Amino acid sequence: MSTLRHSQSARSPPHTPQHQLRSNNNSFASNSSGSTYRVEEDAIIFELGARWLRAGFEGESEPKCIVGFGPEESRRVGDYRGWLRGTAAEQETPTQSATPEDWTRPYELWNMDLRDVDLGLVEDKIERAVREAYNKYLLTDAGLARLVLVLPSVMPHPLLSSVLTTLFVRWRFPSITLLNTPAMATTAAGLRSALVVDIGWAETVVTGVYEYREVATKRTTRAMKALIQETGRLITQITDGKSQPGDTLSVDFEYCEEVASRFLWCKPSQGQDTLAEISDKTVSIPSPSDPGSSYIDLPFSKLTEPVERVLFARDMADSDLDDEEKPLPLVVYNTLVSLLPDARGICMSRIVFMGGGANIAGVRRRVLNEVGLLVKQYGWSPVRGKVIDRNIQKLHDLKLSHPAAPNYDTAREHTDSDSSASEDGYETADEPDTEIDPIEQKLQRVRDKEAVPIVQGILREVETLGPWAGASLVTNLKVRGVVEIEREKYLQQGLAGATRDWDHSHKDTKDSSAHSQIPDRRSGLRSGGDRSSWTLAGWG
Amino acid sequence: MSRPFPYAYISCPCANTPAPDPSRKRRSRESPQKASPEKPRPELQLDDEEDEQTFDPRAPRSNFSLYPPEQLLYCEDCHQIKCPRCITEEILCWYCPNCLFETPSSMVRSEGNRCARNCFNCPACTAPLSVTTLENRGGDQSGPWVLSCGYCMWTTLDIGIKFDKPTNIRAQLAKMTTEPSMPAIHTRQVSKTFGDLKSPLSMYSSIDDQLPPVDGSRPDNEDQPSDTSIPRTRNARFAALKTFYKDQVAATTTSGVDPGDFGASFSSPNTLHRIMSIYTATRITALYGNGNKKARNRPPVMREAVSANEGLALPKPSSETAIIQRMASDDCGWDGLASLEQRAFQSPDARFVEDLLPLPSLLRTKRSKRCKSCKHILVKPEFKPSSTRYRIRLIALSYIPLATMRPLILPPTTSASLPSLSSAAAPNLDALTPQRPIQLLLTLKNHMFDPVRITLATPSVTPGRVASKVTILCPQFDIGANSDVWDEALQSATAPDRSSRTSPYEKVAEAGKVWDKGRNWTTVVLEVVPGSLPGLKLKAYKGVGDDDNDDDDDDSDENEGALDWSGKSKDPAQQIQPDEDVLDIPVFVRMEWNSDSQIDPEEGIGSGKGLGGDSVKRELAYWMVLGVGRIES
Repeated sequence: MSTLRHSQSARSPPHTPQHQLRSNNNSFASNSSGSTYRVEEDAIIFELGARWLRAGFEGESEPKCIVGFGPEESRRVGDYRGWLRGTAAEQETPTQSATPEDWTRPYELWNMDLRDVDLGLVEDKIERAVREAYNKYLLTDAGLARLVLVLPSVMPHPLLSSVLTTLFVRWRFPSITLLNTPAMATTAAGLRSALVVDIGWAETVVTGVYEYREVATKRTTRAMKALIQETGRLITQITDGKSQPGDTLSVDFEYCEEVASRFLWCKPSQGQDTLAEISDKTVSIPSPSDPGSSYIDLPFSKLTEPVERVLFARDMADSDLDDEEKPLPLVVYNTLVSLLPDARGICMSRIVFMGGGANIAGVRRRVLNEVGLLVKQYGWSPVRGKVIDRNIQKLHDLKLSHPAAPNYDTAREHTDSDSSASEDGYETADEPDTEIDPIEQKLQRVRDKEAVPIVQGILREVETLGPWAGASLVTNLKVRGVVEIEREKYLQQGLAGATRDWDHSHKDTKDSSAHSQIPDRRSGLRSGGDRSSWTLAGWG
Repeated sequence: MSRPFPYAYISCPCANTPAPDPSRKRRSRESPQKASPEKPRPELQLDDEEDEQTFDPRAPRSNFSLYPPEQLLYCEDCHQIKCPRCITEEILCWYCPNCLFETPSSMVRSEGNRCARNCFNCPACTAPLSVTTLENRGGDQSGPWVLSCGYCMWTTLDIGIKFDKPTNIRAQLAKMTTEPSMPAIHTRQVSKTFGDLKSPLSMYSSIDDQLPPVDGSRPDNEDQPSDTSIPRTRNARFAALKTFYKDQVAATTTSGVDPGDFGASFSSPNTLHRIMSIYTATRITALYGNGNKKARNRPPVMREAVSANEGLALPKPSSETAIIQRMASDDCGWDGLASLEQRAFQSPDARFVEDLLPLPSLLRTKRSKRCKSCKHILVKPEFKPSSTRYRIRLIALSYIPLATMRPLILPPTTSASLPSLSSAAAPNLDALTPQRPIQLLLTLKNHMFDPVRITLATPSVTPGRVASKVTILCPQFDIGANSDVWDEALQSATAPDRSSRTSPYEKVAEAGKVWDKGRNWTTVVLEVVPGSLPGLKLKAYKGVGDDDNDDDDDDSDENEGALDWSGKSKDPAQQIQPDEDVLDIPVFVRMEWNSDSQIDPEEGIGSGKGLGGDSVKRELAYWMVLGVGRIES
């Protein structure tokens, strides 16, 4: 009772010294500490990916910290070799050559292929990363506040179980809300529907998000992991002086990542030689064998080759590519094709890039241009072949109104996309009124005052603040997530306790890939009114 | 390991007791079938027969459970070692490590967990920055001030920032870098100062403006006077989005109909209508005039952001090209681009070194630590940031014996009888010769006030591919209590023959016998035969039995050649992995002692059977890893 009065009196005047508060919680009985007051309000947001953990508070625009999962973070406590970098001791040990897979494996937290993932190790790494994030950067007592976890929308259950178990067992989080990355990226772009191109670590995931719901997903392995491996190959080749790249990489991973993050760039698509004057430039990068002191010169155009080869599958025929290794523009195009025409019109003018690969200068532009070219070439028909081409040619000869794809839906959409895709794709849509009707015009004017026209049917890129910021926004709005896992229930039941019949109502409308992620305050209550059950929604 | 050899690490026992979880049980039952047959996973076996399994110091997981003994705590209630994983922490105070000022808990968050005063770290090299004046003529400290790094000579002039006052730098910097989003006039002023200062600060979207030097940016800004109200920094955009969403939520919920809620009720005509209207609203309402009226009655749909003021950002078509051109330009180069490390705490859009801003120092915390299972306080420091004292500190070293090692240097006289142990000098622990036995003295020092009985166990061959043979010559011994120091002094006075240990050259290590013993310590001998590294197996070790040192050197040179050669021909997995050449010996330590039950009478009843009337038998067991050295390749 006395403590209660104490703390209240301490809180009411804002300038009361904090010592009183603190002396309050020094008493052994109260288990709370001074930081309780702020964490009650603010949820902690973690975004967990294959390489990094981003952590911060809700309502902030950027995460407080980004913690990696590399070998430096996996050292024993008290092993300070990471600090010897650049000294003589470091240079004595040469980097050993490794296969590309082994070369990147120490740096990733998980691999979606769980056959050779040690889940215990994943748990250990997560535990350490989260602890470090709390102790060094968040500076708040761990586990008191609600946790919001931003995860990729497809997670193997053992992995998800590992993550949740680690967090629940190690700390006292009252509940963990799961949000999926594409929807959050959409939110952070200020949109409700978008085509999210996540150029991530292991794979590039292109997700059509329509009204915050995932409606189509396509993946390709052409992503940052392959890109850094390719950079490693390039540099290994330079150091070895061989013409043919070998099977193993003998350069330092971190050095390659540094090169990749600093200097990799992407050529604009062919025919647009806006950067012709810099293609013969050279840049000097630190020598891979001796990064401390000497430099090697590389033609700047060489530094675009890994991007060309990996992300855009240059020099490879389309027919040689497997289903999971299609180049980026094709995957984007295919995802758009697989969307329903309405959703396609909305999504194609809301293309959102995220992930590490989106930082490579020129990639976004290039992808958009090439998608535009594909659209121009094929329209929205997935049907290809010589016969089709001939038919199109025939139709062309018949001088139909447009050199159009056969089953294109709205003429309006098409004209827009056609014209804009060939140029920049950065114009806002205008209402193409063909015939001038004064009443229509008047109505239009009235309408324009209150409603803003929906931009659709053109290829357009929208910038996002990233999924972390999206989750921060959503959480800050006090929106309740569909997947809210409570501590007690999880500890009793594990993942098996999740109910799966939640999206019965969607079964007829969408296939199983539909993600019932609605950031909405009432959605949690809608699960049959049964508050005791919880769901994994799209993760289930 | 970077610790100097030899070292000792202790594995916290919490690693062996995974959290009970229903789904995990199910999983571990399933996974053995999935596991690839050629690579059985050791953890699974560990689950099945926990204590039977030898601790493998080289397993990737063990890095997370091994701690230097001085970092471990001990819970007196649970009688268990506590590592950072099995404690909970509570923050007592926040302070800046630079100025040691304490930040009150209510301010920590608003200051972004960083020092609000003048403490900054260099964005280029992370050294602390100091506030210096530009003109110190006449000795009067006036004029513009800058932050400068004493290590890498970076100053805020590099990014075009000067300060008017030497105090409250953080607020000044914030005023310069963040852009007030609301009043347009202010923004214009700020952007003007930007231009004057020639600083492209952290604004990604403004890079393209500023790139074709500063003159290029001016007309751009003037072309679009409305631009000034458009949020440009990430923070401003985020704030714009936040207000936009708040407004939308407020606007849509007062009307009583769920925004975006067509998950459950497709039956509701209202929802259906809205779904329809998403696409056709413009058309239908235009055609049928009354639709307009209806639309007004209908609850508004939560819409997306459509203008830049609401947080929508459309990248400029030239922005990426501008970045590429800047990357390729001659004055940028490798050093003009920010490294990954430098970008870690900067805005995600910072790409060039000129985009980097000085970072206010991160605050640090003093934390008290509690046992996770019984909630007893293990560590409680003083509250004052400047004080280094502790009120409570239960470190493990006062409860478990401290293990130290040193190589046993054999007297030169024995070399004739034992040719294999011929090196008269101390063996170089950083380059142990494979297959040549060395002897180490392992000393365990007891810090408890009770005598302890120790049992050591070690696998005869270390796990992993580099199989070293290990023998503890005396695995079971007693250590005396940490009694009064005078006791020993008096004891040695009565027994002068103890001083014979000053000349250990006459001794020979014998199996089953303690090497030496003192008041609260005991030394035993450990004999180790370092295994040979993979890739070197083909090589015959001629030098092993040889006394000639020169011959040894030749051998090692040849060995290196052999390794290189094999490295090229073989699979890389066959080569030595990093740190595989470190000779780590897992040792299982079991200690037993009779503790005075008067210390904690309650525990004595519950936890064990008292031997006498007033003492309780206790035991503690854990794995320890002794790092002997690195095997020479």
